[in-house]
Amino acid sequence: MCSGRILVPHPPTVLAVKPATLLDRLPKVEDFSYRLRGPQVTSRVGRWLGVAFAVAFLTGVWSHLQQDTPGWLSVPTRPVRLYQVTQGLHIIAGTVAVPLLLVKLWSVFPRFFQRPPRPGRALLVHLLERLSIGVLMAAAIFQLVTGLANSSQWYPWSFSFRSTHYAVAWVAITALIVHVAVKLPVIRAALGVPVEAAVPPDGVEEPREHEGETRSGGLTRRGLLRTTWVAAGLAALATAGASVPVLRNVSLFAVRSGEGPQGLPVNRSADAAGVVGIADDPDWRLEVTYQGESRTYDRDELMAMPQSTHVLPIACVEGWSATATWTGVRMADLVTAMGAPAASDVLVTSMQRFGAFGASLLPEDHTADPLTLLALQVNGMTLNLDHGYPCRIIAPNRPGVWQTKWVQRLEIDA
Amino acid sequence: MNGVSATRSTQVVRLVLAVIAVPAGLYAASLLLEAGSGNWLHLGIWLAGGVLIHDGVIAPVSVALGIASMTVLPVPWRLPATVGLICWGSITLFSIPVLGRFGALPDNPTLLDRPYFTSWLALTALTVLLVGVVGLVRSRRS
Repeated sequence: MCSGRILVPHPPTVLAVKPATLLDRLPKVEDFSYRLRGPQVTSRVGRWLGVAFAVAFLTGVWSHLQQDTPGWLSVPTRPVRLYQVTQGLHIIAGTVAVPLLLVKLWSVFPRFFQRPPRPGRALLVHLLERLSIGVLMAAAIFQLVTGLANSSQWYPWSFSFRSTHYAVAWVAITALIVHVAVKLPVIRAALGVPVEAAVPPDGVEEPREHEGETRSGGLTRRGLLRTTWVAAGLAALATAGASVPVLRNVSLFAVRSGEGPQGLPVNRSADAAGVVGIADDPDWRLEVTYQGESRTYDRDELMAMPQSTHVLPIACVEGWSATATWTGVRMADLVTAMGAPAASDVLVTSMQRFGAFGASLLPEDHTADPLTLLALQVNGMTLNLDHGYPCRIIAPNRPGVWQTKWVQRLEIDA
Repeated sequence: MNGVSATRSTQVVRLVLAVIAVPAGLYAASLLLEAGSGNWLHLGIWLAGGVLIHDGVIAPVSVALGIASMTVLPVPWRLPATVGLICWGSITLFSIPVLGRFGALPDNPTLLDRPYFTSWLALTALTVLLVGVVGLVRSRRS
C-alpha cells in the first residue's frame, strides 16, 4: 500500500516535510543530560553569582557617588581606606563572576532550544521570559567585559565607559531582580533539597557515587559545584593583588605589579597630561585665592611651612591601589592662612592640558581634615614629575582621579 | 510556574522584589536613554555581541568538549580533564585584556607591567601537568 507513494512522489508533501526536518535537526531540550544541568546546580551557582553581582552593584553605586557626589551626600573622610576597600571588592566581585556566570549559563543552555508554545497566552509568557533572560544576559556579559577591559585601561568602544557602565549596571540589577522573582519557586525547591535530589517536573535524581565522580568518570553535581568554587577562588587569587598588597606575588594576571617610580605606580603620566616643561618650570608659583584676594607660593616657600607626614593610599577606579608615605603642607593651614575657615570647599586646578579630571572640588570636611595634604614629597623623596611635581593633593578616602596632580591654583569658597 | 506551585510567602517576596524592580527599571531606562543617545548602534552591538558570542561560540564549544570528554577520553581521565578545563578556561577568558596588552601605554611602564604571556604559558603547562599526573595515577589504580 506504500508503493504508490514511492512511485509517485507528491511535491507538496516534500515541501511540507523540509522545514520540519530542519527544525528537527536542531537539538531539543530533552537531548541534554539533566543530571548536571538542572535547577540544583543552577540555583547553587546562581546564588553566589547573585552575591557577586550585588557586591559589584553596591560598591559600583558607591564609587559613582564618591566620584560624582550629589549635594545631599557628605562623603566621610574616615575610614581612610574606605574607597580602596569598596573599589577593590568591586573588581574582585566582577572577576569572580566570570567562572560563576560561565558555569551557570552552561547549566541552562538546553533551555535555549525550548520550542515556543502555540500562539496564545502561553506564547506571550514564553516570549516575555525569553526577553527578560536576553536582557539579563546582555547586561551581565556587557558589565563583566567592559569592566575587565576598563581595569586594564583598554577602551575598544566609542561610548563613555563611566556613564554606560553605570546605566547598564541598573539594567542588570533590575533584570536580575525580575529573574529571581520569576524563578523563585524553582530556586526554593532546588535549594530546599540535597544537591543529589530530583527537582520536579523535569528533574533527575543523581545516583550517589563516590566522591565527586560518577561511574562513567564524569563530575557529579557536587563535583561540578566544587570545581566552580575552585575556579572562582583562582580567579580572585590571579587578579586581586592589584588591590590586596599581600597577594601581589600570587596575582600573576593583575593589571599592575604595584611597582613604579618612587615605589608607586602611575595612572596618568606627565607626558600624557602635557605638563612636561610646564610643571617643572622654575618660575612655577602656587596661587591661592579667597574672596578676591590672592597669594602665591614658590616651592621653597611651601617647603618652609610646617610639614606633616602621613601614610595614605591612592585608590583608583580601575581597582588598583598603592599605599605611600606623603609629606607636605596641611591643606587646612593653607586655607586658614588666607583668613578662611578650615572647613571650606576648595576648587583645585591642575596644570594638565590633556585628559579628564583637570580640576577637583575638595569638600569642606576633607579640607579641614588634618590628613589632607598638599604633598611635596613621597616616600621621603621630592615628588617625581609623573607623581604630580611640584605638588599634588592627597586626601583620605578619595577616588584616585580626585587626588589632583600638578596643582596650579587653589580657589577657596567658604 | 515550571510545575512548582507558588506559595504565599513566595508571593510576598515577589511583591517586595516588584516594589524594588519598578523604580530601579525606570531609573535604568532613563540612564540608558541618556548614555546611548547618538551612539545606539555601537552600544547595541556591544550589548548583543556578548550574548551572540556566548550562544554562538562559547556554549556550543563547551557542549562539544563535554561530549568529547565523555566519549573520546578513557574513564580515568574524564574527571581531571573536566576540572582542569573549567579552571584554565575561565582564567584564560578573563585574562584576554592583559594577555593582549591592548591598554598598554608607551609613556606609562607601570601599567600592565607583568609577563602575562609567560604566566599564561606556565598556567597552561601546570594544568596539563596536573591533569596528566592525576590521569596517569587513576589509570594505574583502575
